[in-house]
Amino acid sequence: MPDIVDIAVSTEGFSTLVAAVKAADLVDVLKSDGPFTVFAPTDDAFAKLPPGTIQTLVQNPPQLARILTYHVVPGKLMRSDLVGKDHLVSVEGSTIRLDLSDNFEVKNATVVMPDVEADNGVIHVIDNVILMG
Amino acid sequence: MLSILIWLPIIGALIIGFLPQSLSTKQVRRSALWLSGGLLLWTLWLASRFDLTNPGLQMQEYLPWIESLGLNYRLGIDGLALVLLLLNALLTWIAVFSSREDTARPRLFYALVLLVSGGVAGAFMAQNLLLFFLFYELELVPFYLLISIWGGTQRGYAAVKFLIYTAVSGALILAAFLGLVWLTGSSTFAYSALMGHPLPIEVQFLLLGALLVGFGIKIPLVPFHTWLPDTYVAASAPVALLLGGVLAKLGAYGIFRFGMGLFPDAWAALAPWLATWAAVSVLYGAMAAIAQKDIKRMVAYSSVGHMGYILLAGASMTALSFVGAVSQMAAHGLILAILFHLVGLVELKVGTRDLNVLNGLLNPIRGLPTISALLVLGGMASAGIPGLAGFVAEFLIFQGSYAVFPIQTLLCVVGTGLTAVYFVILLNRTCFGKLDNAIAYFPKVEWSERTPALVLAWLIFFLGIQPTWLVRWSEATATNLIASISTETVATTVVESQEIAPNP
Amino acid sequence: MTATTLPQTPTSKIPPSQHPFAEVIHRLEAGGSMLPDTPENLMQIIGIYKAYAVPMDFYWRDLLYIAEQVFLDPFPFFKYFIPKEYLDRHNHYAGDDADLRIWRGEATAHPELLAFMEKGEVNRQLPKLFHHLWHDRVNMEFAEACMRAMLWHRHMYAPVNQFDAYLDSEEYKANCDRAIRAYFRKNPVMLGLYKVFPEMFIEKVRELSYYSNLGLFWEVMAPVFFEMSDIYDEGGFKGVPDAMNFLVNGIFAIAGRPIYHHLYVDGECYEIIPKSKGFTWLYEAALPYVEAVFYRTAPFRGTKSYNAQAGQVPEDQKDFHYGILYADVFPVGTAGIPPTLLMQDMLHFLPPYLQDYYKHHARGNDDVLIQLGITFQRSMYNVTSAVIQALRTALLYPLDDPNPKHLMANRKFFEAQMDRFLRPEARLRDIQSQNYR
Repeated sequence: MPDIVDIAVSTEGFSTLVAAVKAADLVDVLKSDGPFTVFAPTDDAFAKLPPGTIQTLVQNPPQLARILTYHVVPGKLMRSDLVGKDHLVSVEGSTIRLDLSDNFEVKNATVVMPDVEADNGVIHVIDNVILMG
Repeated sequence: MLSILIWLPIIGALIIGFLPQSLSTKQVRRSALWLSGGLLLWTLWLASRFDLTNPGLQMQEYLPWIESLGLNYRLGIDGLALVLLLLNALLTWIAVFSSREDTARPRLFYALVLLVSGGVAGAFMAQNLLLFFLFYELELVPFYLLISIWGGTQRGYAAVKFLIYTAVSGALILAAFLGLVWLTGSSTFAYSALMGHPLPIEVQFLLLGALLVGFGIKIPLVPFHTWLPDTYVAASAPVALLLGGVLAKLGAYGIFRFGMGLFPDAWAALAPWLATWAAVSVLYGAMAAIAQKDIKRMVAYSSVGHMGYILLAGASMTALSFVGAVSQMAAHGLILAILFHLVGLVELKVGTRDLNVLNGLLNPIRGLPTISALLVLGGMASAGIPGLAGFVAEFLIFQGSYAVFPIQTLLCVVGTGLTAVYFVILLNRTCFGKLDNAIAYFPKVEWSERTPALVLAWLIFFLGIQPTWLVRWSEATATNLIASISTETVATTVVESQEIAPNP
Repeated sequence: MTATTLPQTPTSKIPPSQHPFAEVIHRLEAGGSMLPDTPENLMQIIGIYKAYAVPMDFYWRDLLYIAEQVFLDPFPFFKYFIPKEYLDRHNHYAGDDADLRIWRGEATAHPELLAFMEKGEVNRQLPKLFHHLWHDRVNMEFAEACMRAMLWHRHMYAPVNQFDAYLDSEEYKANCDRAIRAYFRKNPVMLGLYKVFPEMFIEKVRELSYYSNLGLFWEVMAPVFFEMSDIYDEGGFKGVPDAMNFLVNGIFAIAGRPIYHHLYVDGECYEIIPKSKGFTWLYEAALPYVEAVFYRTAPFRGTKSYNAQAGQVPEDQKDFHYGILYADVFPVGTAGIPPTLLMQDMLHFLPPYLQDYYKHHARGNDDVLIQLGITFQRSMYNVTSAVIQALRTALLYPLDDPNPKHLMANRKFFEAQMDRFLRPEARLRDIQSQNYR
C-alpha cells in the first residue's frame, strides 16, 4: 500500500499540501512508520486563506511545519474510531475539536472524504485549513 | 487730587452710559477697563505721595457746600482709608476685567460699576458725616440694579432683600449721625468737630448701638447677615466680588471710623461683648459654610466668618490688632475677590456650583487646571496658611487681641481651623477625584479670564511674603488712633470718677 | 485583498441576539466592525493609524536594537539613541526587497520620523542629547510600557501561545547562559554577579525577549498602517468595514512570520529564541499583545487610586481591564503616564485633515491630546474588531454559512467577545456615538 505522502502526491487536488509538506521538510516524517491520522486540506481549502498567508508560511519552514503538524494526530484513527470523541491532541500539541453528530466535522472544517487508508495511517480530506486556537 | 477718585469714575460712568449704540460690547468694556485702570494708577500715585510717618489726615480738600445743613465737602485720607482706597480701585479694575465680554446692556453695567467705585471712594475719604452718608447711600441703588438685572436665578428676591436691609442700615446710621449732632449741639457734621465731645455714656450706648446695627448689616455680622448669602449667590461674579471685596469693608470702615472714633467710651465698655459677638460671628460663619452644598454660598458664608476677625481686632483696641484689622480688610478683600472670581468661572464653565456634581477639575487638559490650582491657593490663603496674605492679617489680629480677650481670640482661632475644614471639603470635592466623563466637555478658559485671578494670586502671595507692604500704610494711623482713644477713655473715666466721688 | 471581503447580508436563519450589545453583534455578523460605519469614524481612525505608524516605526527599530544590541548593558543611558544601522534596517514588509510587500513605501525609517528626530518639536537642530533631555523625542517609554504589560501578563493564550512556556524551559536558560557569557566575556564584574544571581539575569533576558517579540510585532503593524493611510488618501476605502477587512487580511498574511530573539555580540549572532522554534507572529505576538495591551495592562500610577483590599482591583490578572478599550482617556496629559506619552508622540505626526478636525471640536488645540486619545480608542476598537473577525475566520465559520448550527456557533463567539465589554468601564457604548470626543 502507498504511504500518506504517496497518496497525496498521486491524488488530484492536493498539490498545495504536497508543496507545503515539502517546504516544511516533513516528507520524511510522513513517510515514516507512524502510524498517523492526517486531516488533509484540499487545494480549494488553502485557496480560501487570504492572499499572502501561504507565501509567508512557505518562507518560514518551521512556522509552516507547525501549522501542518496541527493537521496530524498520532495513531491510525478511522471515522468509526472517532465516534464519541469530542477532541484530539495534534502532533503540534494543541487540541482539535471534533463533531461527528451530523456530519464529520473537524474544528471548523468538514470532512469531505473520510477514511482514505494508507500504509502508515489514514487520511481524512477536509475542506478548510484548520488553525490552532 | 482726592476728588479725582470720586469724580473720574462718576463722570466716566456718565460717559460710558451715553456711549453711542454703534460701539460693541467689547469696546464698551475696554473703555471701562481703561477708566478703572486709570483710577487704579491714580490711586497708586496717591499712595506713593502718602507720608507714612504722618498719622493724621493728608491731602485734605475742602469746599463749603450747604453750610446751613452743616454739610461741607471735606476730604482727607489716613492710613486706614488709603488701604481701602487701594483695594477699591484694584477690585473695581478686577471686576471690570472679570466681567464677561458678552455682558448684556454693557453701557448700564459698566456705568453702574464705576458709580459704585466713585461712591465707595467718596465714603472712604469723606470727613463730614453727612457727606459720608450721601456717598454711603449712593452705591445702594447701583448695587440694587447690578444684582437685579445681571444676577442669577433668584436675583429679584435677592435684590429686594439687599435693598431693604441696606436701607434699614442707612436709616440707622443717619439716625445715629443726626442724634449725635443734635445731642452735641454741634452746628456742623464735620468729623473733626464731632470728635471728643463728651456725651453721657447711656447716650453713647444708644448712638453706638444704632451704628453697630447699621454697619453690622453691611459687614455683615450675625444675626444681620441673612441677606448676604442670597445676595452674593444671586449676584454675578464681578458684582459679588465688589460686594464682598469692597462693600463689606465699607461697613467695617464705618464701625471703626465712626463707632470707635466717635464713641470711644461706649466702645471700650462694650468691647468684651463686641469680642464675643465677633467670636460668635466667626464660628457661625464657619459652621454655616461647612454645611453648604453650593460653592458660592460656601464662599459667601466664609466672608461672614472672616469679617468677624475685624470686629475682634476693633474690640481689642491695641495698635497691633488695629493694624491687623486694616490688613485683614485688604487681605480679605483680595482673597474673597479671587474666590468669587474663580467660583464664578467654575460655574460659567461647568454649569453648576453643586458640590455633589463637581469633581476632578484638576484634570490637566479636560478639567480647569489653572482655575483649580488658583482655587487651591485661594482656599489656602483664606484658611490662613503662612506665606499668604491671609496669614499675616489673621496673625496680627490674634497676636494683638489675645492679651485683651484670650477666650474670644481662641474661639476665633478655632474659626480659622474650621475655615481649613470647609475649604478642604470644597477643594476635595471640586478639584480632586476623577473627572466625570459624561459632563466634562467644558468650554475653553481664555487668558483674559485667568488674568484677574493671576493678578490677585500674585498680590496674595507677594503680601504674604512681604507683609510690610500690607501693614506699613496703617501703622502710624493705628498707633495714633489707639493712643488718642486710650487717653480719651482714661480722661473721661477720670472725669466720671471725679463726678461720682462726691456722692458716695 | 478580497478573499475575506465579507457578505453584507444579515443572518436571518437564526433568531436575533438578546445580548445587551445585540446591535453591535448583528453588525459584526453582517461583516461590520464594532465601530459604527460613518465617514467621520473612517477619517478619524485612518488619520490616527498614520500618526501611530510613524512613532511605531521608531518603536520597533529601537525595541529590536535594545533586544539585539544593548541587551544587558548595566548602564543603558543611550538605549533610545538608535544607531543608523537600525534606522536603515529594511522593514520586511515594505520596500522593494520585502518578504511580502504590504506598504508601497520605503523599507527604511519613515522620512517624517527622521525629520522629527533631527529637529524635534522645538524645530531646531540641536545635539541629540539636548533633544533627549528636553524630552523632545519619541517617547520610547510607551513602547517599554507595552512590553512590560506583555511580560507581566505572561501565560496568555497558553497553550496555543508557546513563546511564554519556552521562556521557562531549560533549553531557553541554556541559550541565555551562552548569550550572557558571551556578552559579558570582557566584564568580569558582571560575570561574577551573574554567577551569584543567575536567575535575575535570566529574568532580565526574558524581558529582553519580550522587547524582541514586540519589536517584531510592530515591524509588521507600521507598514500595515502606512498602507491603509495611503489607500485612504487615494480614496480606496468605502467605509469602516473596508478598513477592518484590510486588517483581517493583513493578520492572515503575516500570521506565519517567525518570532525570535537574537543577540549580536561583536557581530556574532547568539540565538536565544531561534526561529526554528516555530513561534509565529499571530499566536506568539499579536494575540498576546492584544490581550495584554488592549484589554488588560495595569492601572497607571498617578491617574486614580485603587484599593486592592476593597476589591477595586481584580483578583485574577485575566480580569484586569485597564487597556485602551476600557481606558478613561480624560486623564491624558497627566505627566508620565503611558497614554500621555503615546498621544504626545502621535500629536507630532497627525495628518492635516485630522489636525483641522480637532481644531473645530471641543477646546480645539487645547485638548487635542485627549481628542486624539479618544480617536485612538475608536481606532483600536476597529483593530480589535479585525482580530475578532480574523479569529472567527480562522476558528469558526463564514458569515454566510448555510448551516444554522455554524451561524449559532459564530453568534456564541461574538457574544462571548462582547461579554468582555459589559463591565461599566468599557468604552464600547461611548464609541457608538460621535459625541464622545
